[in-house]
Amino acid sequence: MDINLIVVQTFNALFYASILFLISSGLSLIYGIMRILNLSHGALYMVGAYVTYTVVILWLGLDWFSMVLGYVASILVVGALGILVERILLKPLYGKSHDLQLLLTFALILILDDMVKMIWGPEYRAFPRLPGFSIPVGEFQVPIYFVFTLLLGFSVAIVLHLFFTRTTVGKMIRAMTYSPEVASALGVNTDRLFALSFGLGAALAGLAGGVAVPLYTASPGMGTEIIVLSFAVIVIGGMGSIKGALVGSLIVGFSRVFMVMLFPVMEIALIYIIMALILLVKPTGLFGMEMRERR
Amino acid sequence: MRRDAELYSLILLLGVLAVAPLFSTQYTVRLLTVGLLYGLAAVGFNLLYGYTGLLSFGHAMFWSAGAYGLSIGLVRLGLDPLQSIGLAFLLTLVVALATGYLSLRHTEIYFAMLTLAFAQLIYALIIKLRDITGGDEGIYGIPRPMGLGEYYYLVLAIVALLVLLAWWIVRTPLGLGFQAVRDNSSRAASVGLDVSRVRLVSYVISALYLSVAGMLYAPLNRAITPDIAFWTFSAIIVIMTIIGGVRRVAGAFIGGLIFIFININAMRFTEFWQLILGVILAILVYLAPEGVSGIVEKVVRRVKG
Repeated sequence: MDINLIVVQTFNALFYASILFLISSGLSLIYGIMRILNLSHGALYMVGAYVTYTVVILWLGLDWFSMVLGYVASILVVGALGILVERILLKPLYGKSHDLQLLLTFALILILDDMVKMIWGPEYRAFPRLPGFSIPVGEFQVPIYFVFTLLLGFSVAIVLHLFFTRTTVGKMIRAMTYSPEVASALGVNTDRLFALSFGLGAALAGLAGGVAVPLYTASPGMGTEIIVLSFAVIVIGGMGSIKGALVGSLIVGFSRVFMVMLFPVMEIALIYIIMALILLVKPTGLFGMEMRERR
Repeated sequence: MRRDAELYSLILLLGVLAVAPLFSTQYTVRLLTVGLLYGLAAVGFNLLYGYTGLLSFGHAMFWSAGAYGLSIGLVRLGLDPLQSIGLAFLLTLVVALATGYLSLRHTEIYFAMLTLAFAQLIYALIIKLRDITGGDEGIYGIPRPMGLGEYYYLVLAIVALLVLLAWWIVRTPLGLGFQAVRDNSSRAASVGLDVSRVRLVSYVISALYLSVAGMLYAPLNRAITPDIAFWTFSAIIVIMTIIGGVRRVAGAFIGGLIFIFININAMRFTEFWQLILGVILAILVYLAPEGVSGIVEKVVRRVKG
């Protein structure tokens, strides 16, 4: 196989893994702390994509500075949306049947998909190529945007790691993942942490959408495929674990991109085979701990 | 509410559905047929979820096994209808036994994720095995043996039979076993129930219900596309069951009908029908936490005093 192609595909896989990591870490965080399977997480990613699209293409113009502003806008808008959803819609459901949370987060997909259609129209929104997207070095094209994304993904991973291991709030959140009763008995304000966690998870999905939009065209319903791959990521890595989300994203990213080259029939199938095998052999995932439903 | 009130409401509902086409356009009859099939799917799903306590997030795979099995038999292999139905059942049983045997090693979220993984695996194969399944484009030209009006009654007859069968199953020792396993699996085991066998039986019966719904769906549209295997369809099966109410067979059945009813009316009203559907679902979360059948029961109980 051509070495050049392998290099290009490695970049593709790493880019794809970075996006998956940003989405899945939020999904995993929300599940770990709140035991909510947030089906609408892909829809939040879609909103993030449209926000960055609007800021960069419709308002500021195509350059790196407005890209960064677009990300900030996506983080703020989708993060705020997440907090609103948690405070107004999810809070009344705590302690009730899990069915209702599934129903509500599914309803949110329908609502957000159509609201995006109302605001931006049903058609795909192409994103012109960012100047300096890739730079020729000798005979190679170095995809600067991919390198940038990869660094961004790693920085987020490091920041999250520091947040959960070094700060009081982060430690409280982790304590809640293990045992909300004990955390609550020790004086942790679980109510406020739920809002914070859901907002943070949503903000990460928003950022993922902003980072992805230059490559994956913005369209209504763009979240429905990536959300289920994110489920695969957090199951493989271990639900509730940030490290797991990182490793899971790399596994899913690489297996997809390289299967396209080697054995296209298995492009997506292999991901779900890995997911099922992990669940059968080690249901807590590579880095997770046991998750029992709270009743 | 008396115990057999559920049976009477089911019979009443089926009676209403039997005369409904007399007052409907061709278009509405088609949607009513879909409503019946969604209702059947919800009833089948609810045997596993409401009655046995196992949340599957992959039931689209059984609807697809039925629909694709039948269509591949009829269109690709040129089999006659009976052979094609046999093929569809065979395919469903293979998928159900294999995925059930593996998925039922776990319960709760891990079971849900395993069923999701298997269903997505099947979706991925349907997309990629173009020669057999038609890939993205699906299978066209599936013959329907009769006009839409007659087909409605064929579907109604089969659905009525299977829904009443489900009503009966949950009252047999087998169905009571489902509920014993749901309520307390270790106690069920201690009184001599083979818990994993009970779960597998429930899983396979549930899968067969979905498969029949899928088999009846394919000739209705004369075409199938891989959407019916995607996770969103599995989610819709879960959602319509919950909005109807998971405590009863009749609840789930009503859920499927209501889901289509909301869809029809929202579509007529605006192109943004998903938004309307989403808002109604969200309102139901707060107004009808026990499902629509829960509200009906509450009203009936109050009227009776």
